[in-house]
Amino acid sequence: MTGLEAIQHYNGFAMAGVGITIVFTALVALSLIISQLHKVLLAWENRAAWADAMRRWKRGNGRGTTEKELPDIEAIREPARQFHLLIEFTGEPFSLPVLIKRAESRGLARVHFTVSRLIECHLIVPDEDGYFRWNHEVYNRFSGRRKK
Amino acid sequence: MEMFLDFFANTGFALVDYRNLIMIAIGVIFIYLGIAKHYEPLLLVPIGFGILLGNIPVFKGLGLSIYESNSVLNYLYFGVTSGVYPPLIFLGIGAMTDFSTLLARPVLMLLGAAAQAGIFLTFLGALALGFAPNEAASIGIIGGADGPTAIFLTAKLAPELIGPIAVAAYSYMALVPVIQPPIMKLLTTRKERLIRMEEPRLVFKREKIIFPIVAVLLCCFIAPAALPLLGLLFFGNLLKEAIVTERLAQAARSAVIDTVTILLGVTVGASTQADVFLTGKSIGIFVLGALSFGVATAAGLLFAKLLNLFLKTRINPLLGAAGVSAVPDSARVVHMVGQAEDPGNYLLMHAMAPNVSGVIGSAVGAGILWSFMV
Repeated sequence: MTGLEAIQHYNGFAMAGVGITIVFTALVALSLIISQLHKVLLAWENRAAWADAMRRWKRGNGRGTTEKELPDIEAIREPARQFHLLIEFTGEPFSLPVLIKRAESRGLARVHFTVSRLIECHLIVPDEDGYFRWNHEVYNRFSGRRKK
Repeated sequence: MEMFLDFFANTGFALVDYRNLIMIAIGVIFIYLGIAKHYEPLLLVPIGFGILLGNIPVFKGLGLSIYESNSVLNYLYFGVTSGVYPPLIFLGIGAMTDFSTLLARPVLMLLGAAAQAGIFLTFLGALALGFAPNEAASIGIIGGADGPTAIFLTAKLAPELIGPIAVAAYSYMALVPVIQPPIMKLLTTRKERLIRMEEPRLVFKREKIIFPIVAVLLCCFIAPAALPLLGLLFFGNLLKEAIVTERLAQAARSAVIDTVTILLGVTVGASTQADVFLTGKSIGIFVLGALSFGVATAAGLLFAKLLNLFLKTRINPLLGAAGVSAVPDSARVVHMVGQAEDPGNYLLMHAMAPNVSGVIGSAVGAGILWSFMV
């Protein structure tokens, strides 16, 4: 027996159809899982922060977040102002090593620590091309609050 | 004088048949291709030498032929017929493979799945040519472009075809640089071949450790018959990524895989005795094997083009050709074809993702076919 007759006799089309479907299902499922794996791991590593965020969210629609972040900014208010001036002068986007070098050459104190805090407070944010920008929105919010 | 004549009657010179000479010539060509042309030398040299051993005409009854139950070669061949060697090779492959690019861009895994269409279309082709379903399944798996998987499935379903199927699978794997580029150029435009891939993201070590565990559980729950191959593939990979088991990983990717490759190559080669190899079926197997390689390559390429219709960041469709699991040859061919258009386009790292997913896909495909036939 040969040809289509043989394929139909042995149920070939069904076997081939089911076979390729199962291969696809297995690999699609695997790719879906591994595409989320790094996010799950990241969440696990930052589980304390997540739990904290959840608690604040439960307390009242994220109000706590602002209150939590602002004291950090307040603590580095003066260095933030200095870096804002420096970045306005040097232009955006900028690379962190260049910013640090310029800040050091101008004699700013504890440059690495300050840059780290500015990043934590989202005042310095990545632009997704390997460089960084000054977050004017957060800075204005912070400045506005300070004026009150 | 009579003793001399009796002795002469039992020598290879008296017993030789023209078919043995044809096979010896094929063995010599394999050795030549491996040594002089560097086509898969680690496989073609042992297989070629095995073909010489298998086709030296011997006196039946002395326990010399690989098909005689008490011969040394037959004991070594047990690893092939029982399906022991292929999983051990997978253990070594797992201990050598870095799944980083796959973890960084999981969507490329779908290209490895698409290329497995070659297996099932060839299965249909073999049925249409009059092969029995178990034989058709064994022939179809050649399209997976994975020698150990082809041998494993054939040992389970059609042991009498191991010789031709193994030789076809390994020959076509060695000929990937010849078979694939024309299909790749035919099915892609120059503009598509020039597409550059984005840098993959950094992959955490923990991801690499968790991946083999998740993958073996998921794939083997879906297709349990793939357990012997995928189980050892991912076990080998876990040994590699766990760091604390580096000694075992080192053994798996060197001593274990080298020893098994030697034994597998020589015994598969020796199993190609002229009387069982030079048949009409073998010719059919070789023709279908070539077709299945072509179909698998085309399926991967076309699926990559289809994916580009939905993806925000387009992928280079050449990567689809790496979905056939000839690791790392097809990835290397993708890189070479890409560089022929743009010498600054480095596709090798990206092509490894569909390439290793092709290994997983072909093992799952083999498991499915095996379960269908049981």
